[in-house]
Amino acid sequence: MRTAVVAVTLAVLVLAPRAAHAQISFDARRLGMGGVSLGRDGNASRYNPAYRAVKNRSGGGTGAPKVTIPVPLGLYDFFRHHPIGKLTSDPTFNPDSAAFNPVELLNLILSPPIFLDLRKPPAPTNNVEFTIGKNQLIMNLGATSVLIPDQTFGLGTSGRVLDLGTGVGPFHISVMGFVHYDIGFTLDSALRSVLKDTVPVRPDSSYFIITDALAQTGFTPTVSYAARVWHPTVLSDSGAPGGPNANADDGVYLGASAHYYFGATYARGVGPAGFTVGNPIFAVAPTVLFDGIVHTANRPNGHGVGADVGIAWISGPFEVGVGANDLGAQLTWSDTKVQRIQYDPNGDSISTTLLANHVQSTTKLPISYIANAALRMGTGTTVGGDVFNAGRGTVIHLGAEQRYGPFAVRGGVARDQRKKLQFGFGGGLRMGAFGLDLGVWTHSNTLADSRAMTMATSISVY
Amino acid sequence: MKALTTAGLLVLVAGCGRGKAIFNVDVYSFMAGSGRDTIPYAIPPLSSATASTFQMVQLPPGFGSSVVDSVRITIGSANLINNTGTGALGFSFFFATDSAGTLSTPSALDVPATTVNGSGTVPVTISGDLSPAIHSLFTNDTLWMRIVATGTNAGATPVTGKGALTALVIRVVLQDKIL
Repeated sequence: MRTAVVAVTLAVLVLAPRAAHAQISFDARRLGMGGVSLGRDGNASRYNPAYRAVKNRSGGGTGAPKVTIPVPLGLYDFFRHHPIGKLTSDPTFNPDSAAFNPVELLNLILSPPIFLDLRKPPAPTNNVEFTIGKNQLIMNLGATSVLIPDQTFGLGTSGRVLDLGTGVGPFHISVMGFVHYDIGFTLDSALRSVLKDTVPVRPDSSYFIITDALAQTGFTPTVSYAARVWHPTVLSDSGAPGGPNANADDGVYLGASAHYYFGATYARGVGPAGFTVGNPIFAVAPTVLFDGIVHTANRPNGHGVGADVGIAWISGPFEVGVGANDLGAQLTWSDTKVQRIQYDPNGDSISTTLLANHVQSTTKLPISYIANAALRMGTGTTVGGDVFNAGRGTVIHLGAEQRYGPFAVRGGVARDQRKKLQFGFGGGLRMGAFGLDLGVWTHSNTLADSRAMTMATSISVY
Repeated sequence: MKALTTAGLLVLVAGCGRGKAIFNVDVYSFMAGSGRDTIPYAIPPLSSATASTFQMVQLPPGFGSSVVDSVRITIGSANLINNTGTGALGFSFFFATDSAGTLSTPSALDVPATTVNGSGTVPVTISGDLSPAIHSLFTNDTLWMRIVATGTNAGATPVTGKGALTALVIRVVLQDKIL
């Protein structure tokens, strides 16, 4: 059991998909600015196809480094407290230990200890109290109730894997894989009240969690176009076109991609899971409530079209861009089956009923979008911001960097997917082709809604 | 039982942080109205006698590996509803994994005897820590409780009546290990 817990946890730490609300970056510069990227890397080039035609800044100022290497002080600290040779007996991973705290373990998964935690996410250790009577059940979770989510919680992402292709001029032909999953859980209000507000369980009442899970994957041949469609004519001293700024990045860039999606497989399940308590509560057996509708593809034959579009305008120190992905991306699955999976109280078993077979179903890929802007002032100040949504809530970042010779001071603010305000600050020192950066930021990536504070350090190679 | 299983699952998903799990089990609510909440007694002159009632106590499952810190009757009361005679009655609580076991196990809590005299009702307060020897029983899903009323009669008139339980809440504090 202990070995299994350790193994599973470490595997999840390494392989876990990012939590829906997790904003993990290995760049201390970015984290010190509240998550905003003043460069043209990262989300801008990923979600705005116009940026594929824009040269990535490098070499100086706020230019993007060629390589960013995180300095994992958090891992050092983690393994100092949890020696790798003693993990199997470590109370953090050992359910048999009196000090074992599952919340702490989940926090570790949701917020991997890459960087140094200045303020760890809360892992409530208070007592929980239950009052049980024939017709009474009251739960007082104390401080643990902060773990009960008010909103839908879950995991999800819409990503692209691989991008194999070739291009000629502004055109690019490629084949990409796509993966989309979205798993959401919502506590019904009665259950939330019982767990969070110490409201007594009522007889003859239902308490459940609504689950809505979708997963689909496939590949998409893509034709892309990205180019500067307009740039200001710069005259030389003689009045001829061209001049010292003729090769500057100024101009308007357009980008677009057309996708034809081939869906390989998909599944979706929706329904409540919970129980209906009897009357009296502990004298009559409750009824298990489990009633889900599940759609699955019989064959890998999803089809659909969609598009990415983007525009970027760069004018001297100012640039702005807007891009959106997977517009109109709806996949039609011509051969699917629909099943109802229920708990059968008579047989005390799960029953599966085929509602429809060989029917058509449709799924959508979520629209992802980004809008970004940056202004580089001549005084060494750069400010920027972005609004970003990858299909599971909008994230807003605003940040600034002030350079003083080799030194940089940074700060930023963000609104995360939980609509919670987060803050970042940091600094850096650049020496030639190398830079050492430090960023401190707050985040709410763990089970609790409370903020944690982490300090990131990274080395950049320009 | 499923209700308690459900409660146990809720404990697992909602109260899994490190700390102590505390259960206030209103045992009386399970006994009230069933007849098991009363113990009729009839003590012949110049003698003593006992009478008892049994009750199964269900607890949330999954705490088999837990360590019980304490078990205490926090709220407990009974009425001695005496009809005739003068004597003294006390209560003892026995716990075991099955009903038969309660007949051979030492008592976990003894309530001092209370004097009754003639027709009338005498209230009795029941509270106290249960013997550590039976703590481990409270990590089980179920256990049995036997309440024994022991009476003595020094007079020439039979002492008759009944002891009626009016409240009984057992508080179990344990270091939960639910995985």
